[in-house]
Parts: sequence; C-alpha cells; structure tokens
Amino acid sequence: MRRFLPWLGMLAALLAGLGLQTQLYAGQERTASTVLMFVGLAVAWNLIGGYAGYACFGQVGFFGLGGYAAAVLMIHLHLWFWLALPLAALIAGVFAVAIGAPLLRLKGHYFAVATLGVAEGLRELTTNLPDLTGGGAGITIPTVGSDAPTRWLGNDGFYLLFLLLAIGTVVVAVAVSASRAGYALRAIHQDEDAAAAVGVNTTVAKTLVFGVSAALTGAVGAAYAFQQVTIFPERLFDVDITVLMVVMVILGGSGTVIGPVLGAVAVAFISEWLRQNYATVHTLLLGGLIIVAVVMLPQGFTNYLADAVRTRRFSLLDNVRRYRL
Amino acid sequence: MTMPRLEAKGLSKRFGGLQAVGGVDLQLHAGKLLGVIGPNGAGKSTLINLLTGHLKPSTGTVVIDGKDMTGARPWRIAHAGVARTFQIVKPFRGMTVLDNVTVGALFGPGGGRTVAAARRTALESLDRVGLAARADLPPAELSVADARRLELAKALALQPRVLLLDEVLAGLRPVEIDPALELIDSLRKDGLALLMVEHVMHAIAAVSDEVLVLHHGEVLTTGRAEAVLSDSRVIEAYLGTRYAARAAAAQARRKA
Repeated sequence: MRRFLPWLGMLAALLAGLGLQTQLYAGQERTASTVLMFVGLAVAWNLIGGYAGYACFGQVGFFGLGGYAAAVLMIHLHLWFWLALPLAALIAGVFAVAIGAPLLRLKGHYFAVATLGVAEGLRELTTNLPDLTGGGAGITIPTVGSDAPTRWLGNDGFYLLFLLLAIGTVVVAVAVSASRAGYALRAIHQDEDAAAAVGVNTTVAKTLVFGVSAALTGAVGAAYAFQQVTIFPERLFDVDITVLMVVMVILGGSGTVIGPVLGAVAVAFISEWLRQNYATVHTLLLGGLIIVAVVMLPQGFTNYLADAVRTRRFSLLDNVRRYRL
Repeated sequence: MTMPRLEAKGLSKRFGGLQAVGGVDLQLHAGKLLGVIGPNGAGKSTLINLLTGHLKPSTGTVVIDGKDMTGARPWRIAHAGVARTFQIVKPFRGMTVLDNVTVGALFGPGGGRTVAAARRTALESLDRVGLAARADLPPAELSVADARRLELAKALALQPRVLLLDEVLAGLRPVEIDPALELIDSLRKDGLALLMVEHVMHAIAAVSDEVLVLHHGEVLTTGRAEAVLSDSRVIEAYLGTRYAARAAAAQARRKA
C-alpha cells in the first residue's frame, strides 16, 4: 500500500488541478499556471541541488536553452510544438551532461559560481546570434495562421500543459527518490569519498542526475517560451528564476519529494499576493519573509516537520538553537 | 602459496616534497590479518587510501585477485571486492542507520539488486555488528562505539573479500574493545583477507597473523607480533632513541 501512496497522491493532484481549473477566471488561471511552472522548476532543481547536494546556480541556463531551442526548432525547422518540446528537453539534458563532466568535479561554492557563469554565457551567446535567436530584440514564435507549426494553446491549454509538466517532474522525483539512484545521490550529498568506497560510481550518478534535472528544466522552459510567444534573452535567462527555484527548494525542504512542491506553491502565491497588495514594496517584503523563514527553518519545512514529529519537539526556537543560528 | 587477494608492490606516494609512503610491499591472504602499526604521520591512512583508489600512487602497483587495479577509481576497487572503513567515521547523515548500510548493499560487487533485497542484506550486516536495534536512528544519535560499528556494517554490506580497517578501535572504551576484536576474528575465520591499522598494541598483538611497521612511509619491519613489538627499532620509532636506549639497557640488565 505504501508503495502506491505517491502514485495515488499524484492522481489526486491531477484531478484536483483539473477541478481547480473549472473554478478559476482567466487572470487567476494564468497565475496558477505560473505557480505550476515553478513547481516543475523547483522539483527539477531539487534533483541536483537537493538530492545530490550540488547547488546549481545556473539552472536558468537550461530553462533558457530549452525555451530558445523550442523556439528555434519551431521557427526555423517548422517543427510541431509537441516535437520541439521533447527535443528542447533533450538538448538541455545533453548540454548539462557535457558541461557536467568537467564542472561536477568542482564542489560547493565553486560549482555554484561555475554554473552561474555558464548561464550568463548562454545569455550572451543568445544575444549575439541574432540570425538564429533574434538577438536582444527577441524572437516571435508564429502561433496563428498557416505559418504556425502548432496553434497557441490558450490559457486553458497552457494551464493543462504546466499541470502535466509539474506532475511529470514529480513522477521523476518519486522514481529517483525511491530507487537505487536516490540512495546513490543522498550518499554523494553527504560524503562523496564514503559513497565511492561502498561502490557508488559517483561521476556517473551525479552527471546523469544533472542531465535529467536540466532536461526537465528545459522542457518547462520550452513550454514557457511558447506561452510567451515572443521571448527575450533577459527574460529567459533571468537569474531571478534560479534564485526562486533555490529559495523554493530550501524553504520547502531539499532532498524530499514534497518539499519543493510546497515551497514552490507557497513562495509563488505569497509573491503574487504581495505584488497585488503592496506593489511598491513587494520585493522588500518577500525578501524579509524569506530571511525569517530561513532563520526559523534552516532545514526546510518538510524536514523540520519530520524531525519534530520523530522527536516530539515542535518549538521553532528549539529548532533555531539546534542549527546554531 | 595461494594467490594473495590483494598485493601491493613498491607502492609510493609523494605530496610535493613529502614522501608520505615509500616503496611498500604487502600481501593480504584469505583468512589472514595483517596488522599495520606506526607512529602518527607514518603513512598508515595514506597506504589504505592508495589501496582503495582514494589516492593515486606515484609509483608501484596494486593487484587484486591477480588483476592489476593500480590507479582504479574507488568504486571499481569496491566492485572488485575490497571494502574499507574510514579513520574519521563518514556516516551519511540525514539517512537512517539502515539506509546508510543499504547503500553498500545496493552498490557492492553483487550490485544491481533491488532496494528491498539490499535492505535485507543491510539488516544482516547490522545484526552482525550488533546494531540492528538502532536501525531506524539517524547516525548523529549514535555513540562513538556505535558509529564505529556503523562504519564496519557499511563495509560488510558490500560482502567484501578484502576488508581494510582504519583504526576501528579508536575511541572505544576498554570493555568495548574485546567484543570488537571477537567480531574481527570471526570475519577472519569467514575467510576475509584483513588489514587493520591500529594504535591499540595489545589488540594488534591479539588478532594479527603478521604485523607490518611503517615509519616515515617506509616498511621498518614485518613479522610476528611478539617479535615486532619487542624490536628495538620499533620502540625507537614510537618512543624516540633515549627511551629505546633505556629499554635496551634494562633488557641487558635482566639478561645479566
């Protein structure tokens, strides 16, 4: 029974998502689509950043690469969107494996900075290849008429697409978490030498999960590009997107399946609510909330809850003390 | 003479100008335990790291079951049936004791097993080291002795043919040492080829078939425990020339 619990949960999430859609009006539906997009992104980042413990600060590079790959395939090769999306994911994944081979030898801050550099490099490259990508002026995917390889999906269509992508990434996360790969990644996270000593091929494990994480991120990027129709390097390679993914995973609880989902929903909704009600100081308030949350729950909400239930100590002050902040 | 399970020839490691290990030869045989002693900084842990691929030797070879494995990555060495413990215990924090050991069972030489089968193997090795009752705890809540047991259980879950123990007795109370030695002895009786780095001399003397003394990275002497431990060069290496001279004088007086 326990084995089927996650899958039942996902079926319930799918039905709840479909049910919710009937209750939303257009503006709300777009916001909900964005929340679902961030669920997918956070869960994907968690694979490399949370499970393997390699904090990738260039994740938006794969998002932008996926988006631009899809756009270029649809515009220049007139590929159907439903073909461009998996191809974009594949391109992002293969790219991550290629850069992962050298970069995953770095650890901690060095890996973070190196990946940050890769994402910035991709943005510059995109800006400086105007024939292929439209450069800084952006590029527009044809969405209507005989020119369009696939018609624009509409608000309902994109809501459904992001819902399926979010559930798809969670399915991958559950599969990874419960399998041999999950054990290998958690071991690598804690101590790479010790993991290698018990037979874990650390190079293969972390390079593969980097590829999977990038491919999922690239798929979400492809969907976002099609939703936006016209895309710019500044939007698709916006470092804020990486920051949001990291914050969502850390607050929700890294290295768990459900943590990034909760983190993404909470941060995305709070951010949106603050933007609508305190437009001028919304970033300041969000930043303050994130600081308080990280101080109170350094291990993330789900990990705190699991610890608290096990030791029967629910005090947040105790929790702060335990992590010596 | 049967083929050694693991053999090192002329194994050396330089860190810049420092010769950490220089020209070490050793053989590990099934059902035998080689004790390795030497003062701090003698190169004992470096030697283990060279044998397991955590460090690449500057010169020399490592042969496992007749196959040259010099410079192979640690997981390849592990797949070849060589397990180790670390001097500074390396538990996977954030995973339960059982999950810690399950990693070894999943990725050991018989790898490719399902998670369920690996958990059964892990429980068996926890049972063997006497840690089964603490299977669901996080490693942070273990005592020093139990943390050492966990380190050993992780290595045993690989179902190794060669086991390298790096100071598994360090930090144990006297009453905890004897059961640990019994366990090590039972592993030898099971036919494992063992290498044990240790500072507790009476422990080394009790379980070693042969003792190798490292000093400044080189083999000072090898032989049976009693002979090695009374060798004046060994006393000198541990305690300095002045103490060795006094010990020699005392010995001379006893003979007279």
